Amino acid sequence: MQRITIDPITRLEGHGKIEIFLNEEGNVANTYFQIPELRGFERFCVGRPVEEMPLLTNRICGVCPEAHHMAAAKAVDAVYHVEVPPTGKKLRELLYSAFYATDHTTHFYALGGPDFIMGPDAPVAERNILGVIHKVGLEIGGKVIQMRKYGHTVVEIIGGRRVHPCTSIPGGLTKGINEEQRVEIEKMGRWAIEFAQFSLKAFNDIVLSNKTYLDLIVGDIYTHHTYYMGLVDANNKVNFYDGKVRVVAPDGKEYVKYEPKDYAANIAEHVEPWTYLKFPYLKNVGWKGFVDGPDSGVYMTTPLSRLNASDGMATPLAQAEYEKFYATLGGKPVHQRLAIHWARLIELLYAAERWVELATDPEITSPDFRAIPTATPTEGVGIVEAPRGTLTHHYWTDERGVVTKVNLIVGTTNNYAPITMSIKKAADSLIKKGNVNEGLLNMVEMAFRAYDPCFGCATHSLPGQMPLEITVRTPDGEPLQVLRQFCE
Amino acid sequence: MKTFVIGLGNPILGDDGVGWSVADQIAKRTMDRPDIEVDCVSLGGLSLMERLTGATRVILIDAIFTGRAPIGTVSQITMGDLPDLTTGHSASIHDTSLHNALSVGRSMDIPLPEDEQVIIVAIEAENVYDFSEQLSPAVANAVPEAVALVMELLGS
Repeated sequence: MQRITIDPITRLEGHGKIEIFLNEEGNVANTYFQIPELRGFERFCVGRPVEEMPLLTNRICGVCPEAHHMAAAKAVDAVYHVEVPPTGKKLRELLYSAFYATDHTTHFYALGGPDFIMGPDAPVAERNILGVIHKVGLEIGGKVIQMRKYGHTVVEIIGGRRVHPCTSIPGGLTKGINEEQRVEIEKMGRWAIEFAQFSLKAFNDIVLSNKTYLDLIVGDIYTHHTYYMGLVDANNKVNFYDGKVRVVAPDGKEYVKYEPKDYAANIAEHVEPWTYLKFPYLKNVGWKGFVDGPDSGVYMTTPLSRLNASDGMATPLAQAEYEKFYATLGGKPVHQRLAIHWARLIELLYAAERWVELATDPEITSPDFRAIPTATPTEGVGIVEAPRGTLTHHYWTDERGVVTKVNLIVGTTNNYAPITMSIKKAADSLIKKGNVNEGLLNMVEMAFRAYDPCFGCATHSLPGQMPLEITVRTPDGEPLQVLRQFCE
Repeated sequence: MKTFVIGLGNPILGDDGVGWSVADQIAKRTMDRPDIEVDCVSLGGLSLMERLTGATRVILIDAIFTGRAPIGTVSQITMGDLPDLTTGHSASIHDTSLHNALSVGRSMDIPLPEDEQVIIVAIEAENVYDFSEQLSPAVANAVPEAVALVMELLGS
């Protein structure tokens, strides 16, 4: 049996490892995607005042601290049974919209986009943001840097600090914004809308107009029929900060819609012997393995999932793009994973529009941005949509508000099962009779790069060994050899 | 001529916080040096490049995990020797490597230090996977040596 290892996976947060096992004929027998996992977060949090959680959790992950800050802030509000005043909610969502625009921009231009813009067969050294700049022009690089600068600036104005905001506290924020700041934020948001439109046009010109790429997107290689999850507002429109969790079935019909506090009644976690990370699935559908279809509880949370799980976008320009997206790809839901990149750009446009909507809201400069909690703290759940998927924080405290227990389901963990399935399917289709070249291997990576996974923050409390374990299996699945790396 | 001293790392991830510990000490010792700016960040790739805007010289302090040197070994490396992906933060594989990010920045005419003006002071780490605010003993013991090295580089 021949073994192929893609290691390290370029441009992916967390040092993952994919193992592909070939059979005697040189075809793919099986694939495993394993990642080292950070440990002991719950143990680290127990005994601390719960209001520290928005500051602590934003250190979990180097990629989306803002998402952890927001989920934690909402969970702490729930622990204290306090309702944040409208201005407080709007300020948080405004910060979050600017963060989203920044994060989606970075992903598209630095991580996911190069595969399309440079082509999946281009040399590795060119498939990055520098290659994109060389190919498309210096102007694009300048816009990306500007977009990031504006996003970081809004996070700093509202969140008190760049990248790692620190202003959310139980019941709201520590400070609001003044008219001068509002004007600045609005101006940057208007620029962001133009940038998002520019990005969608670039995607249209470079990717959708290229038959090879379009065929790749709509082809079967990266297609899975699973459930889709996303937060929606009262009108079932996509929302990143607040609302109910809605899940649609593979046929696109609503399967369930629940309040964040009810997540545990809907989500369970499956354990596999070959990885320490668990696979969340829909509890009431059940775990049937790494398989597609309505009887399998596997669900996905990504920009595409959010679009599939909603009835549309709450802003006009993004809604028009949403309609074009489904018209082009053959109606709802879209199952092709590479369409996640397009969905991400539609969300970029929504984030920019929402940014301006909130920046021009008459309440946004109101001093009423915090309610003082008065109830005894108990437990609470906070859910936001992280760019990579639904992010759940659940805290329990004693009557003093000291943390006694923590549970997190991070964005990427939701997608662990679908990513594993996509890698397998791409490998099946692209590696035949032992014929593997760099372009093919990169297309295997493309399968899950679309999900934008970052397993660095996929935390659960796990005492014991380092989590990287490689199991070598025979074609019929029997363990042949177990390799453990960095174990004591 | 502005020198940035940047502690990289995650202060709640065990030895990953060593860059911050060293930078904290440097900040206390360089308060009378207007030509030196000290900061602690958890950034990599493009974000780190953006943070380096305006510096003529940079000293990055970070945990390193090579497995080839005793825990607590302090080394001075340049961008040229930077092994791919072995420092926790200078290479963000979420967006791009620091090398690539600096090239992007320079092509945008962002004022950035030349590669040879980016010095990395690396401390071999033991634990960067368990959440903790404590450094391993051997890494904690290496902090004074790393501080002395940075101060020497700063000409103090």
